[in-house]
Amino acid sequence: MYKELDPLLLSQLRLTIMSFLIVAQQAEFSVLKEKSGATSGNLSIQISKLQEAGYIEVEKTFKNNYPLTICKITAQGVEAFEAFYRDLRSYLEP
Amino acid sequence: MPLLVVKRKFIESFGLFCKLIYTFASLKNTHQNKIMEQQEKVLDPQESLRIIRETIDLAKNSFRENGFHFLLWGWLVVIASTMHFYLGAIAHYPRPDRAWMIMVVVGMPVAFIYEWRRGKREQVENLVHNWYGLIWLGFGISMLIAMPLAIRNGLSPVPFILVLSGFATFMSGVLLRFRPLVVGALIIWVGGLACLWLPSDQQLLVQASVTVLGYLVPGYMLNLQSRTRHVQRT
Repeated sequence: MYKELDPLLLSQLRLTIMSFLIVAQQAEFSVLKEKSGATSGNLSIQISKLQEAGYIEVEKTFKNNYPLTICKITAQGVEAFEAFYRDLRSYLEP
Repeated sequence: MPLLVVKRKFIESFGLFCKLIYTFASLKNTHQNKIMEQQEKVLDPQESLRIIRETIDLAKNSFRENGFHFLLWGWLVVIASTMHFYLGAIAHYPRPDRAWMIMVVVGMPVAFIYEWRRGKREQVENLVHNWYGLIWLGFGISMLIAMPLAIRNGLSPVPFILVLSGFATFMSGVLLRFRPLVVGALIIWVGGLACLWLPSDQQLLVQASVTVLGYLVPGYMLNLQSRTRHVQRT
């Protein structure tokens, strides 16, 4: 039924991550966790899926000797999100 | 000797026990992840659109400007304009334009320190703030060109400053979706237009007045809004 829509973005958490990163460009894992209200495990899984698709990049670094994970939206991710939004609009307003 | 054997056996058993616990925990975690994946809700288009709108609003609200720069530069412009007017028209000081040195001596270091500290504090890159910064960078460059041009041609730079700052305020208002800044920009533009009929010393008073109305008042409103707004997920 929703064949034209990107299946990767038809998930609540993945769509929330992408929508947040469209504005923020990049965000720490803890920020995404707080804003999405997801559990660490679930968030990690969805981030990995978006990373595998090339929609986001994950950078692991350190801040004050603590591990820090930063998620950045890629050009491909922006393109996919825009296409998804366009398809969604055309779907709802034919 | 038997004691050593017992010790070794104990260490081996303890190692095996730890390994078992670790294996069990990993299996449990994988199982939970699988459940989570299965539970991941597939959205319909209406829900998708709602999530996009809510999350974008949430992100934008997280980045809401606190109006710091409007307050800093607004007060400095008011002080410099009135000081320039006083030194030139009342005290008859030969170089009243030196009042504007306050922008370089106070404004620039304070703005730089504020931005440096903000950059260190911020956990996310802020697209809105980047655009906002670019607008005012464009304004600064335009001012650097317009001011010597006006002075060299014997014109008062005040109307040029007002027209350019009106434009930058207008763009900031549109970008931040903050109507008081758009209204403020209109007031600043009207002030710039009024300079057509006023001598240059009175233009300074117009500049101070429109800066209060079009720049400081929206700046305080922005500051109040950023302090009272609670980011909530609906």
